[in-house]
Amino acid sequence: MSFIELKKINKKYENAERNSVTDFTLNIEEKEFIAFVGPSGCGKSTTLRMIAGFEEITGGDLYIDGKRVNETAPKDRGIAMVFQNYALYPHMTVEKNIGYGLKNMKVPAEEIKKKVDWAVDILGLEEYRYRKPKNLSGGQRQRVALGRAIVKNQKVFLMDEPLSNLDAKLRVSMRNEISKLHRQLGTTTIYVTHDQVEAMTMADRIVIMKDGVMQQVGKPMDLYEHPINKFVAGFIGSPQMNFYNVTVKGEEMTFEDGKKITLPDVVAERLSDHQGELIMGIRGEDIKVDEQNRELYKANVQQAIVENTEVMGNENNLYFTYGGSLTVARVSKYELSQMGDKLEFVFSPTKMHFFDKETEENILEK
Amino acid sequence: MLTKKQKTANWILVIILLIASLFFLFPVIWMLANSFKGDAAITADMNTIKAFIPPALSGNFFDNYITILTDTKFLKYMVNTLFYAAILIVLGIIVNGLAGYALAKIKFPFRERWVLIILLLQIVPMETILTIHFLMIAKVGLLNTVIGYILPMIVNPFNIFLFRQVFISLPDDVYEAAQLDFCGPLKYFFTMVLPMSKTVVATVSVFTFLNVWNDYLWPSLVFTSSDLLTAQIGLNSITSNDNTTMGQTLAVITLITIPVIIIYSLFSKQIVEGVTSTGSKEG
Repeated sequence: MSFIELKKINKKYENAERNSVTDFTLNIEEKEFIAFVGPSGCGKSTTLRMIAGFEEITGGDLYIDGKRVNETAPKDRGIAMVFQNYALYPHMTVEKNIGYGLKNMKVPAEEIKKKVDWAVDILGLEEYRYRKPKNLSGGQRQRVALGRAIVKNQKVFLMDEPLSNLDAKLRVSMRNEISKLHRQLGTTTIYVTHDQVEAMTMADRIVIMKDGVMQQVGKPMDLYEHPINKFVAGFIGSPQMNFYNVTVKGEEMTFEDGKKITLPDVVAERLSDHQGELIMGIRGEDIKVDEQNRELYKANVQQAIVENTEVMGNENNLYFTYGGSLTVARVSKYELSQMGDKLEFVFSPTKMHFFDKETEENILEK
Repeated sequence: MLTKKQKTANWILVIILLIASLFFLFPVIWMLANSFKGDAAITADMNTIKAFIPPALSGNFFDNYITILTDTKFLKYMVNTLFYAAILIVLGIIVNGLAGYALAKIKFPFRERWVLIILLLQIVPMETILTIHFLMIAKVGLLNTVIGYILPMIVNPFNIFLFRQVFISLPDDVYEAAQLDFCGPLKYFFTMVLPMSKTVVATVSVFTFLNVWNDYLWPSLVFTSSDLLTAQIGLNSITSNDNTTMGQTLAVITLITIPVIIIYSLFSKQIVEGVTSTGSKEG
């Protein structure tokens, strides 16, 4: 049995027309760091809150450490939680905030002090320990919230978009701190975020959700390389994957605007059962502009006019219209083009994803 | 930078306000000055500027006050009232606070209707339900007891509403965090909700104090024993006594005004904040 098991979990709010979460099934192993990610309203926070016990589970079973906890009060589930808005106790100092739970657990004062000292030290809060939350910055507040969670030695950490109120720079450093903390403590962690970069960089496995339904679960690179459907393909990765409406007939792929590409044999063979209208998807970095690739696939070299560029420094995004869709190519800093330049490129043939037009499922990943 | 014209306008405004405030202060100064005088001196100074100036410090300067505090039970009445006010402040915060919390945060059927009913209750003047209170208290045999006096005074729709308005803006996730910190609902109310809402607690305390301190009708109905009377009733019985001099009357009035002035000057900021804000800036 896995450490946390969600079996066909459903959530339907009173008077709601449809489920907020539908048949959510997932096994989470001990010490795993798992991220729930999806656009707002996809049910990721609701699922987390059902695990915490703040939302009633309307269908299905939830097991934590082998025990069914559907009706168990939040405090008896062995969880600690970090909230989006920190949820610190405003009238208590940092030290008191961190130690409050232990005090209520009737832990001896000496022990509390020891644990608070440890948390304050590990989170770099020593100089703030006698301050109240209103005198702390956002990052410091979130560290206090983390401190409050780690001192209680709970079995599971739940984190509900803990970094979304912080600025970009702070988010990156807190991301590292949370990852480091997880490695140090090894506590099973469920982390909810709408930011796919957070999920990709921190999690052992990612659960992608949409409209209350789990779309795919897997290791970050698996999701990136092998998205199960168009939604996952579009959600994971930045810039977003490029999509085109195409018609496949044998080895020939025709774009909406009439442009044609010859597919390599291996791809054409795998698509032999799926002739006709499809959606083709390709990531920006798989659109190649370098000479070597253009030489390699010279029969399929395409042309377009660069409409916009995003200079990042280490790499650059080139925007142009191709095949009836706005396309972004991610190129190295040595391949920077200017707006209005004529661009020659090839689609890396083995990196193309094909999705069914109706179901949007990835045909090649079936 | 203010222009010269604006500066002049400001000065004129300040002078007008000073004169206006003096106008309101004169009766108080007159009361204070004459509370140290004998009746003869009061009459003699009546139409002169001396009416606003206390007499020179002499052996009998505090005579009026000494008479009031030693010859009458006024000091006891004041202590009684402070005692009732203290109990009512504590009970009022607990009862009205819990009611306000329930109406703000706990989901139950017809909650909004209840809020409306409580709002409507404020329209009903206290005097109209006094008879009913009196009959009920008499029926259970609590007339002339402290409990009989206090019971009907605890619940206050205005305070419930004030609490509710402030509690409604308290973040829910703090409650959730507290639950995970093993803090039960009642403990949460007393150790989190009240400290997070200090302003409204202060406001309700001040209002309750002033209510009790200035109330005349209800204590005069409930109490018959002179040991339980409140300051306002004491004031009435002392001033209506033929043997009381005008100076002594003014001394009693001064004494009864002091706590009110102290409370107002200590808590004026909280009173204004508590009534005008919803407490969302707290913390």
